[in-house]
Amino acid sequence: MTVPIEYYVLLSMAVFCIGLFGVLTRRNALMFLMSVELMLNAANINLIAFAFYHGNVTGQVFALFTMALAAAEVAVGLGIILVLYRNFRDVDVTVPSAMRW
Amino acid sequence: MALVELPDWAALAPVLALAATALVIFVVDGIDPRRTDRQLLAGLAAGGSLFALALAVWFSLAGVGDPGFELFGGQLVVDEMALFFVVVVAVVTALISIASYDYMTEHAYQAEYYSLVLLAATGMATMATANSLVTIFIALELASLPSYALVAILKENRGSVEAGLKYFLIGALSSAIFVYGVSLIYGATGHLQLGAIADVIAGEAEAGAGHAIAEFDGMLGLGVLMVIGGLAFKTASVPFHFWAPDAYEGAPAPISAFLSSASKAAGFVIAFRIFTEAFPIDAMVGIGVDWTVAFVVLAIVTMTVGNFAAATQENVKRMLAYSSVGHAGYALIGLAGLSGANGEFVLAAAMMHLLVYGFMNTGAFLFVALAEHWGVGRTFADYNGLASRAPMASVAMTVFLFSLAGIPPFGGFFSKYFLFVGAIGVGSTAMLVVAAALVVNSALSLYYYSRLVKALWIEEPTIERATLTKPTGIYAAIVVAAVMTVVILPGFGPVADAATAAAAALVA
Repeated sequence: MTVPIEYYVLLSMAVFCIGLFGVLTRRNALMFLMSVELMLNAANINLIAFAFYHGNVTGQVFALFTMALAAAEVAVGLGIILVLYRNFRDVDVTVPSAMRW
Repeated sequence: MALVELPDWAALAPVLALAATALVIFVVDGIDPRRTDRQLLAGLAAGGSLFALALAVWFSLAGVGDPGFELFGGQLVVDEMALFFVVVVAVVTALISIASYDYMTEHAYQAEYYSLVLLAATGMATMATANSLVTIFIALELASLPSYALVAILKENRGSVEAGLKYFLIGALSSAIFVYGVSLIYGATGHLQLGAIADVIAGEAEAGAGHAIAEFDGMLGLGVLMVIGGLAFKTASVPFHFWAPDAYEGAPAPISAFLSSASKAAGFVIAFRIFTEAFPIDAMVGIGVDWTVAFVVLAIVTMTVGNFAAATQENVKRMLAYSSVGHAGYALIGLAGLSGANGEFVLAAAMMHLLVYGFMNTGAFLFVALAEHWGVGRTFADYNGLASRAPMASVAMTVFLFSLAGIPPFGGFFSKYFLFVGAIGVGSTAMLVVAAALVVNSALSLYYYSRLVKALWIEEPTIERATLTKPTGIYAAIVVAAVMTVVILPGFGPVADAATAAAAALVA
């Protein structure tokens, strides 16, 4: 008895929207990173569910790549957040606002 | 009969040369980290990218890209368009490596800087050859991650850190949207390789579990829309252009040049490849997803937003940043016009525009680098009367600005003219509106470009200036870029032929 594919897509859409909501509302840079991570993992759910559905492993392999790239992205992001903290004494993404329009 | 049969992967030599140079710089720095030989590092970076450039030019002259090598089961492809864009990336990388020698004098992390530049260039060159949504995403990240670090590399400078943060936040968001779009496309078609996706959409092959594509066309449409979003970030087009002015203003000027020329060209090459190889417009209209409409709207909005915002700026670097958004709108015409019989001509014109843009825009940002090196300030008024102190650089800057505006004697005029003729030739009402928008925006852009020319040549300096230094590296890069902007005119025949052949191979 397998779960129909629609449920996986609904789950991933929900996770993606939660992540997007977090990106749009959170001001803490670390929460922002976590929200982006949710969005990336929503894509992974899709990829793995559809790999099973279509019966090929392309999606699963891509999900592995996505995870590795997400880790690399977090590493660079944390570095930038660190220099942000050193310069502004804060990790609030709305604090640096010298440049606009 | 060749004397030596090269293995297939040798077709990737220009990309491999860039990657190898990045690693060699790491090794050189690793041998003696305390002693930084700046000349050696800058020389290696410039030499490596010039070598990659020579290989790419040689390959395209020797016809390696015709009909094109498919490598690793079609994951990468070396065709004429790939070589054309590797040339663009390698040229810009070489120019900014030379200019960075003077600009980054005081910087503590020289080897890291040049390695990151070359790694990002490797990513951009791989984007040019990527032929599957997997390799496209990996190459995209390989180009993006070093770019985030490069924008924020002036760690003590608040502007640079702010720019890096904004660039990273929007970049991370848009790559998440892109990869979700890819997962939806995979769900609908069961494939990630571009050609295989096209086969499923055309109904020539079955998606995985034997279902028809029609069951999933809504999901496919949403996926395509999200992929367009991810590409809009990389090319600095509306709606993901917000990062561009901030990132270009805060970043070191050579990095602004790099991002606004090479990175934008690389973003366009994957856009061209995805939408011609995976989603051919005829098949997509058949299942009710007409993406040219999206690109018509994006092209018009992008060029209008970019040019109007540029016209209101007082800061020169920010003006160039918004003009770069405007130029992304011009290049988008290449995709907007693909539906008609004239599609390949419009696409070729967009490729030519990106090549010319690689010289003129890099040059303009390098002049800003020169001004920052002198410490003259950032606004239009600060540039007043620079021509009397530095006539040669000012002549070069005038060439760049008039070429960006599209004044006849320079390269920028011809690429814009081809875009205009191509857009009219497509024949649909929407494309006529696009062509009209191109003309109106070019006229508007002349206002703010000539404002800077007026400041350089006519206005009296507001303060008394001492003699300005002549940093060799930046001067050399600016002069080369200016000469190329001018001589590309007689050389336009071969360039146009190369672009047309590449576009024809892609559309056919």
